[in-house]
Amino acid sequence: MSKTYYVCKYTPLELLAAFGGECENLNHMPEGFDYADQIAHPNICGFGKSVLEAVLAGDVKELVLVNCCDTIRSVYDLLEDMGQMDFLYMVDMLHCGNACSRERVAAQLKDLAKKYGEYKGRSFDYEAFRNAFAPQERMQLPHIAVLGARMGDELFAMTEKSMPLPVVNETCVHNRSVAWTYEESQNFAVPGNEAAAAQKNMAEAGNLAAGELPADFDALMDWYAGELLGQIPCMRMMDASGRKQLYQDPALAGIIYHTVKFCDFYSFEYADIKSHTDVPLLKIESDYTVQSSGQLLTRLEAFAESLSLNPEIAKIIRGARANGSASADGMDSEFSAADKDGQGKSLHIDGSEDGLSGRRAPHMGKGYYAGIDSGSTSTDVVILDKDKKIVAGIILPTGAGAAIGAERALECALQEAGLKREDIEEVVTTGYGRTAIQIGDRSITEITCHARGAHFLEPKVRTVVDIGGQDSKVIRLDEDGSVKNFVMNDKCAAGTGRFLEMMARTMEMSLDEIGRAGLSWDEDITISSMCTVFAESEVVSLIAQNKKPDDIVHGLNKAVASKTAALVKRVGGEEAYMMTGGVAQNQGLVKTLEDRLGTTLIISDKAQLCGALGAALYAAD
Amino acid sequence: MQVVETFGHYIEKWSETAPERARGLLKTGWEAQNLKLRLTPERELSSADQYLACLMMDTMLKPLKDPEHSILVSIFTPCELMQEVGLFPYNVEGFSCYLSGSKAERAFLQTAEDSGISETLCSYHKTFIGAAERGLLPKPRCIVYTSLACDANLLTFKELAALYDVPSFAIDIPSERNDANVAYVADQLRDLGVFLEKITGKKIDDASLRGRLARSRRTLENYDQFQKWRVDKYIPEDLVSPMYCGMTNNILLGTKEEELYTRRLLKGLNKAESAKGKRIYWMHTIPFWSEAVKEAFLLKESAQIVGCELAQVIDLEHHAEDPYEDMAMRLVYHSLNGSIIRRIDAGIRHAKETKADGVVWFNHWGCKHTLGGSQLAKKRFEAAGLPTLILDGDGCDRSHGGEGQTATRLGAFLEMLG
Repeated sequence: MSKTYYVCKYTPLELLAAFGGECENLNHMPEGFDYADQIAHPNICGFGKSVLEAVLAGDVKELVLVNCCDTIRSVYDLLEDMGQMDFLYMVDMLHCGNACSRERVAAQLKDLAKKYGEYKGRSFDYEAFRNAFAPQERMQLPHIAVLGARMGDELFAMTEKSMPLPVVNETCVHNRSVAWTYEESQNFAVPGNEAAAAQKNMAEAGNLAAGELPADFDALMDWYAGELLGQIPCMRMMDASGRKQLYQDPALAGIIYHTVKFCDFYSFEYADIKSHTDVPLLKIESDYTVQSSGQLLTRLEAFAESLSLNPEIAKIIRGARANGSASADGMDSEFSAADKDGQGKSLHIDGSEDGLSGRRAPHMGKGYYAGIDSGSTSTDVVILDKDKKIVAGIILPTGAGAAIGAERALECALQEAGLKREDIEEVVTTGYGRTAIQIGDRSITEITCHARGAHFLEPKVRTVVDIGGQDSKVIRLDEDGSVKNFVMNDKCAAGTGRFLEMMARTMEMSLDEIGRAGLSWDEDITISSMCTVFAESEVVSLIAQNKKPDDIVHGLNKAVASKTAALVKRVGGEEAYMMTGGVAQNQGLVKTLEDRLGTTLIISDKAQLCGALGAALYAAD
Repeated sequence: MQVVETFGHYIEKWSETAPERARGLLKTGWEAQNLKLRLTPERELSSADQYLACLMMDTMLKPLKDPEHSILVSIFTPCELMQEVGLFPYNVEGFSCYLSGSKAERAFLQTAEDSGISETLCSYHKTFIGAAERGLLPKPRCIVYTSLACDANLLTFKELAALYDVPSFAIDIPSERNDANVAYVADQLRDLGVFLEKITGKKIDDASLRGRLARSRRTLENYDQFQKWRVDKYIPEDLVSPMYCGMTNNILLGTKEEELYTRRLLKGLNKAESAKGKRIYWMHTIPFWSEAVKEAFLLKESAQIVGCELAQVIDLEHHAEDPYEDMAMRLVYHSLNGSIIRRIDAGIRHAKETKADGVVWFNHWGCKHTLGGSQLAKKRFEAAGLPTLILDGDGCDRSHGGEGQTATRLGAFLEMLG
């Protein structure tokens, strides 16, 4: 028998079960949206598109939707029009939970019961209905909650794997909280004497066997509608204040706030939570494909690192491990928190004290430490001696493969320092390619490394602006150089080094030229498009209008600066600011960004080595 | 044009540090525009549309002048009850349009995004939120909104109610069209009446309300008649009049002014020349700021927009005697309520009534139901014999432009129509 899929917590699962339905949450993230983009539009929520993909791939034959949002409404419209499904229904769930809407929802439930019963060829089974209720228990132990828009199975598994504590999925459909409680259910069943109660109710309910709805079925559905509407509300409800219990839970050690691109509901809650919680918070956005995981993994790992480096949370993690409640999967990631005195003043990445030494292998080196930052554009290597003095700093283009690039850059650095491979005690890798490189002992995300490097170069720095080739990020540090908070740009290239590279190509200028050009402008041109593709066509038309290259470049710098300034604002930037990454060499952009932020940016001559330096410092710990 | 740019620049700039001053400038600027509309109206437009431009400007200015008597509403909120208690509409979508028209939308969009609100939220909502967060837009007396026609309503108005700290009232519209659902909405509207009476201390007079609803109906019938009678006429059109009409036919419905506008429309038909050029029926909002769209349709004899779905969302076939039920019926049988098929069918009917040569389905960025249904719409419009162009863009936010693409798509479509 085929399964009935659902997407929303307001779906009357118990009712479907009463007709013999076997229900499953549709939560698989596809590889891409080839079908969905054709029949719908690329710019709708990725989850909606994943539902279309699943149906078009023939995996889903029965589907009960709820009119959750505009995208799901569209999905229903399209599926209805295609007419390929065995059973398709959309529950018109209202937006408020008062008595009147309960009545309307009850009417919907009865209609669904009728149609689903006809489809299944079965009558309402009171016993199955009652047994389908599963009491929900909230996690009492210290944990990390994923909140916000629904998170797909694949991304959730990755999140669980990266975190040092148990992770609970409380997004969207996953916080379904229809509970069978004594007070509300006593009209229908007597706890403690279930068999007798069932019999009594069967008798009262009338002639079930004959397939007729019982006399009090209406009352049952009215009660059930109230139960469905009374759950922890979803953001689409007009009164969503009941959601507070999700993020005010005392057992929360961290919140991963997840949004799905083109779903707007949860950005509002995020905007609210971020200024009202002391719990460490990470915001990530996915487009509901498995492909976006690379960039998200960096963020998740950086968040896990910052949690482990937070003395209070490190204590919780140790406690959880002692109790055996920490997930086993979480333990083999590259960090291991240990803060011996609990004061958190020193960043202690040596996990040996609780026997979690990770992938660290013993080395017989001569007191040198290397950090390798494998970025999308360049691979940087820093070698430190035992006094943490830089003895080599190398920047090479990454080329085709991260592993080969790293190998080559390390060789160059060794040559520069006059060292051999055996002289290096430990190598820490960071950057995009960090996990692809075999030579490292450990890998740490570039977020944590940039913070450490920047702190080392200039201890008064509290905000690091790093515009790299593939992404740009802003990191807030505390006085110890630990990450307090960070944000990254989304997948789109706007506001990154790649954006400027593409524009330089369009203008037939080198990166050096474009870096100088923006300094001496006359006309204040605004590039209004944020999208790289559109911006390029704007530049082409400005060139056609014979605008001065300097003015166009200044316009481009303004566009990047405004994107970056938005990130700074989002992270709550504070003095002093340091800019790192390759784009820090672009004087025109630096000037424009300084104007925009109303401050000066500290730019170290080692700006581009910052990530590798941080990695080397971790190696030397 | 330079004047508008400088004006917008100062609105954006001052709102950052001195929102009161920026609001003063906004009011002065719009008053100047209002004066200009009266002294030197766009002579090429029909006298009805000249009147409409002033009416719309007045509607925008009122909340700036007298916020205490303004009520923040979403575009499809029925406003007759508010008119009865002496409150005038302060419309989110309209304000964002006007801010965009004043070239001052970018900074507000950015402010909203900086506070964490997603880039993909409808720009009509996001511009207003940003401007409200900055303190540019004054605090209304209260807020009333409906769940119709998009998700953004459910978010924006809750946010604004918290920001302004004013009472709010939400009308929940079920999607299925039946009597029980009409009764459900009518009950909410009765509660809305009580809410408004409590806030203003005024009593809603039943007879007066009935009179107002009758006027609303006359207005809608006039407009419907106008659209049917204009088939063999050429009435010069710009890009904003069909949009204004989409606003006034909702938020000003029930006022004498809106009825007068529709009467003037009908009167103007006598003087109109006979039809010429291509006739386009427009679905969703019109990106009035786009040079490419202006190039194609702004007061052009070769092609014009002869109707916009937003001005024709109410199904005239459903009507009730009781004023609350009548308003409820308008909402439940609204063409944007429920399945996209209803909206497409209404579009086909209205486009055919006005003998459109083609249809533009405007995929306003962030409007998921419009985007999601766009392929289905093209299929059905074309099956009904109406060539259809799906045009991606943004009605309010210039940064989602892509002017080159818009020009090519529109140009090719008009060439295709011959």
